[in-house]
Amino acid sequence: MTAKVSSPAPDPTAERFECFTESLPAKDIKLETKELDFLYGKSKVLFGVSLPFARNAVTALIGPSGCGKSTLLRCLNRIYALYPGQKAQGQILLDGKNILERGIDLGMLRARIGMVFQQPTPFPMSIYDNVAFGVRLYESLSKPDLDARVEESLRRAALWDEVKDKLKLSGLGLSGGQQQRLCVARGVAVRPEVLLLDEPASALDPVSTAKLEETIVELKRDLTIVIVTHNLQQAARISDHAAFMYLGHLIEFARTDRLFDNPRAARTESYITGRFG
Amino acid sequence: MFARRTRRSAASAAFMAFCTASTVLAMVVLIAILGSLVYNGIGGVNLDVFTKDTPATGSVGGLRNAIVGSILLCAWAMAGAVAVGVLAGTWLSEYAGNSAYGSLVRLLNDVLLSAPSILVGLFVYQIAVKPMHGFSGFAGALALAILAVPVVTRTTEDVLKLQSRQLRESGAALGTPVWVTIRKILWQAAGGGIITGILLAFARISGETAPLLFTALNNQFFELNMTKPMASLPAVIFNFALSAYDDWRRLAWVGSLLIAFAVLAINILVRTLSREKRRS
Repeated sequence: MTAKVSSPAPDPTAERFECFTESLPAKDIKLETKELDFLYGKSKVLFGVSLPFARNAVTALIGPSGCGKSTLLRCLNRIYALYPGQKAQGQILLDGKNILERGIDLGMLRARIGMVFQQPTPFPMSIYDNVAFGVRLYESLSKPDLDARVEESLRRAALWDEVKDKLKLSGLGLSGGQQQRLCVARGVAVRPEVLLLDEPASALDPVSTAKLEETIVELKRDLTIVIVTHNLQQAARISDHAAFMYLGHLIEFARTDRLFDNPRAARTESYITGRFG
Repeated sequence: MFARRTRRSAASAAFMAFCTASTVLAMVVLIAILGSLVYNGIGGVNLDVFTKDTPATGSVGGLRNAIVGSILLCAWAMAGAVAVGVLAGTWLSEYAGNSAYGSLVRLLNDVLLSAPSILVGLFVYQIAVKPMHGFSGFAGALALAILAVPVVTRTTEDVLKLQSRQLRESGAALGTPVWVTIRKILWQAAGGGIITGILLAFARISGETAPLLFTALNNQFFELNMTKPMASLPAVIFNFALSAYDDWRRLAWVGSLLIAFAVLAINILVRTLSREKRRS
């Protein structure tokens, strides 16, 4: 990795935001934003964010509330497009192809980029059907193949042993931690290439959180993972790279150990040492 | 300081007493109604009620034609009302947003929700009875459906809006088309609430008399043909209760008892369903 200091965002009215990013070798980059702006109606909440996400790695987005980290995550699978008035400008490259272009099939995009939300959101159906739901949208598998896919997905989400005898029961009957891992299983069942996690552990107890974190680290063997978290220890534990954001600007992007041990931006340092946010 | 405390305690006690008295008053009225229904009606309940048609005065008869008529009218009405109401409620909740047209539909639905049922009866008389030159079961079902649609629409919209934004987004995040998310996820999640609305609408229309008098009229014979005038419990009660004959008046009591208990049964069903919903 080579370090480089890029110039602050060219917004004459705003205060100046220092920006330190490390660049990654092109072959390692799965997903990348380039000069990404985001608008809720007329108010701009992301300013020229250029951030790479490495293949088979976990990238953590950290920063105080309202810094735009969830907004950035919601750009990556264009889930914001559900709401008229929300708009992303710039480029988001998935394997080099800009997904912000017109004519992108959002269904196919979201099959390649899965997402897990802050609150567990199992669908009101059986555990089996929850996992099979996405698969059935894209593939018509035979019953044995589908069974195998469901089992594989639940194993990858480290949930199989807990639910294998009650696949026909409602997903709503599981504990919060189990529900969240069910959502992970549902996401990975369609075999996405990227998994986005929006504060997935913030509604969970410590034991469930630990299990979920193990799951995430396991999953990065096949997936590119982007996680938004408020929990700095969690970011330090599970991520390979970390990006610190502040007021819609990317302040610093680096390998996680470097960002935490030796932050270069003054704002990053005061955030991770607990002076604000 | 103690004076204020005493005053507050007294106010609290007075308020409690007022609430209790109001509850007792409501319960007394309810029990008086149910009690008089049971007292006057239960004696007339026998097999003939369900197997014989409404009689000429002085002969033995029952309410078979009216019971079957009521069931048919309500079933046809609910079939139409559920289809229109659930889809309209879904549209209002998922597609209309805050658009001007959506707001207009919502307003008109609320107006319909409180429209006097006799007006609905007259309206259907104008559009369906007069042009067809005759009263019919279908006209009756149409009038009842118009009364049921706003209830179903409103509850469907309300319970769909209660579903979390994240549930919708979870559907979209898998690449699910919106209408599949609605059918397979939102309707499932809101199912208990939608059924509650449907049953409440059914409970409302099952006792309606005024709209039927202008539309389905009445029929002293057993009739399954929906294009013919049709008997119904409320219409029979209306006719018999005001008559001078004891046997007719007894049948009117029995009919009232049947409607009351059918509605009671439906309400118990609704409560059971919604309780199960809350548990899950």
